[in-house]
Amino acid sequence: MTKLSNASASETIASGRRDFFKKSAAFSVSAMAAATLVDPVKVDAKELKGDPAILEEKPWGTSFGYPVTHNRYGQPSPYEHHVTRRNTKLLSSGNWYASIAMCPIQDLEGIITPNGLFFSRCHGGVAEIDPNQHRLMIHGLVEKTLVLTMDELKRYPSVSRIHFIECPANGGPEWRGPQFPSIQFAKGMMSCAEWTGVYIKDIIKDLGLKPEARWMLAEGADNSHMGRTVPIDKVLDDAMIVWAQNGEALRPEQGYPIRLLVPGWEGNLCVKWLCRLEFASEPFYAKEETAKYTALKPSGKAIQHFYANEVNSVITSPCPEKPWTDLKKGDIVEIEGLAWSGMGTIEGVDISFDGGKNWVEAKLKGLVLPKAWTRFSYIYKWEGKPLLLSSRARDDAGHIQPMVRQEREVMGVESVYHRNGIHTWEVTAKGEVNNVQVLS
Amino acid sequence: MFKSYRKAILSVALVAAGTTALFAVGASRTYPNGKKVIDGGSTYPVKHGMSSLYHVNEEAHKAHFKLGRPATPDEIKAWDIDVMPDGTGLPEGHGTVEEGDEIYEEKCAACHADFGAGGAGYPALQKGNAYEAHKTLTNQRVDGNDEGPIRVFGSYWPHASTLWWYIKTGMPHPHPMSLTDNEVYALCAYIISLNELKIDGEELDDDYELNREKFLKLEMPNKDGFVPKIDGKNGLENARKFFNDFTNYGIPALKDPKKRCMKNCFKGKPKLARISGSGISDYLPPISNKKELPKKKAGVTEHPGKKTYEASCAVCHATDAMGAPVVGNKKDWEKRLAKGIEKVYHNAIHGINGMPPKGGTTLPDDKIKEVVDYMVSQSK
Repeated sequence: MTKLSNASASETIASGRRDFFKKSAAFSVSAMAAATLVDPVKVDAKELKGDPAILEEKPWGTSFGYPVTHNRYGQPSPYEHHVTRRNTKLLSSGNWYASIAMCPIQDLEGIITPNGLFFSRCHGGVAEIDPNQHRLMIHGLVEKTLVLTMDELKRYPSVSRIHFIECPANGGPEWRGPQFPSIQFAKGMMSCAEWTGVYIKDIIKDLGLKPEARWMLAEGADNSHMGRTVPIDKVLDDAMIVWAQNGEALRPEQGYPIRLLVPGWEGNLCVKWLCRLEFASEPFYAKEETAKYTALKPSGKAIQHFYANEVNSVITSPCPEKPWTDLKKGDIVEIEGLAWSGMGTIEGVDISFDGGKNWVEAKLKGLVLPKAWTRFSYIYKWEGKPLLLSSRARDDAGHIQPMVRQEREVMGVESVYHRNGIHTWEVTAKGEVNNVQVLS
Repeated sequence: MFKSYRKAILSVALVAAGTTALFAVGASRTYPNGKKVIDGGSTYPVKHGMSSLYHVNEEAHKAHFKLGRPATPDEIKAWDIDVMPDGTGLPEGHGTVEEGDEIYEEKCAACHADFGAGGAGYPALQKGNAYEAHKTLTNQRVDGNDEGPIRVFGSYWPHASTLWWYIKTGMPHPHPMSLTDNEVYALCAYIISLNELKIDGEELDDDYELNREKFLKLEMPNKDGFVPKIDGKNGLENARKFFNDFTNYGIPALKDPKKRCMKNCFKGKPKLARISGSGISDYLPPISNKKELPKKKAGVTEHPGKKTYEASCAVCHATDAMGAPVVGNKKDWEKRLAKGIEKVYHNAIHGINGMPPKGGTTLPDDKIKEVVDYMVSQSK
């Protein structure tokens, strides 16, 4: 018995005073006080064989934690403070007011991104909107216009769906070759959450959409007044106005109080701080659909209205941030990753150990949902030999990720957006992980 | 035997209807109206109360709701700020190149630099003659060529209306919606002249005055540079056709997933591209996998009484369950402090009411005073 009991400590307490406290009937004051008085016994770990983590008393086992009144809104453990969104000066446009914060996908588990880690992009800073002074207006080619308060909007029947949002520039800095020794920066312009809101079709069915209405402008109320044009097909399919993310109100970084959600499509289309929907017969040509978010091909023609983020995948373990440097030859290890498609549901993922020359099929695991992150897994025996580790996803609309060479043949290297070529990690004999591209 | 026959008939019927690749639960490549999904992907119509793996309350989506109210004409006018290529939303107004130059110097040059050359993190507004710059759009930075395509307003944007809309509602970046319509015309005139664009065959000299009519005559060099064609009655159909042909954007068509390449998919050893140098790694904050407490900020020191309070006093003083004055409750402590801090020290050391001397500890007096100071400091 090396751990000391606190019984002897009670001798240091003045006895017989326990009835002085006004409300002490429920429990013994002296016993509770005594429990806090004695320093834990220091065990000399040299005398005992084993792990000090087991043999030594710990402060958290020998004193109070904080009371339940302390963190009314829970926070992550302070030991997890390195798990954060990150920035780089390369993407610091507008003095960080028109910029992006990357999601630490190397640290995420499952398919849901915690709200505080969800990647964040804005064009004029993060607006903090007073929901009492915010309205949604619907006008244009509708028989009846509509103004809703936020409370009224939430009276429509709600729908909850798990969808990723991805900036179409995710991986865009690497068209001409790998640049980032990091998965957070190579692939972190995306996250996945459960969104709750209302289908736009449920609102407009009572407004009377005019037959010539082909396009919808969605506009935000923030500094940038950002607008994007959405074709009516998507509006009448699965486009939503959402007010909640993973069970709580949207964060300001995600457009509080409401944003547009266009499942699977360019994150930029999911207009935040949404205030206005206008229906029209012609597209609007907003600033983010001509100046940006168009993909220039070698012919000199650019794809505009490039809606869906195509089928894609990346191995998240190992990755540059989570290498195999702790593994020994012969260790069994799980290779894990994320696959996603804005055009449907992930059908399967293949893994290659030689940069895409030969492939084996990985297993999907957990929930497999449309336009949502999907986990894949492969059990592997590490022999300490260098690898070129690639993943190749395919979806239920019949798409498969192209090899880098195939993608370049069609798109060149200047299109900035919609890069979904097969991603490869080089694993060295030591288990270090480098970002490479296979051009074969 | 009969069952498999029926199955065969069914699959033939599905192919005939153009519905292919029905792998996932309820996935369809066509909308209920029979048209292909516009983005070339799948849709998940509700069948038997399910859409994909989600249950659906179909009643909820059939119900009619009387929520909200119509917008007033003034409200629509206040918020309808977009400007379309045909001039919808573009107000009357005027401004000269010279006026634009002056406004630019005052309100724009700090970020976009002189003559719209662009600055750190702020885009260039011109890169010389737009008609010449337009010719660079076929440039690719491969095989040692480091001249990329020039994608500025003059060389790349299909419609000038976007410029007016952008400036009016988004600029200057720190103070959008602060420019008058005339100031926006003047800035547009200045930027058009920087790009050496012509209106009706005329270059814009300093005295040139732009107005709504002239602005709508500006024809951009790259107006036909974008696919699919989304204007007019066929716009949606053009987009539908374009995105359903995956070869337009580099995805190999996968007619039969079983026939995807699994062995010897390219010849020889893999040809690798690596990060040059150490790549881009100026991350804020730096990447770390360490599980450790955050470093304390320099100059911020913890109150010396805090640790003792948490170890020996919080059990009674953190809540009012014991009737003790609660740390953080200003009123509780004001009462005690009415007779001075020395009296509070005295009571803490010698005990009062339910509180045993020194709270039942054997701490020295100065430590007890430290704790009292901490508790008072947290209760102001």
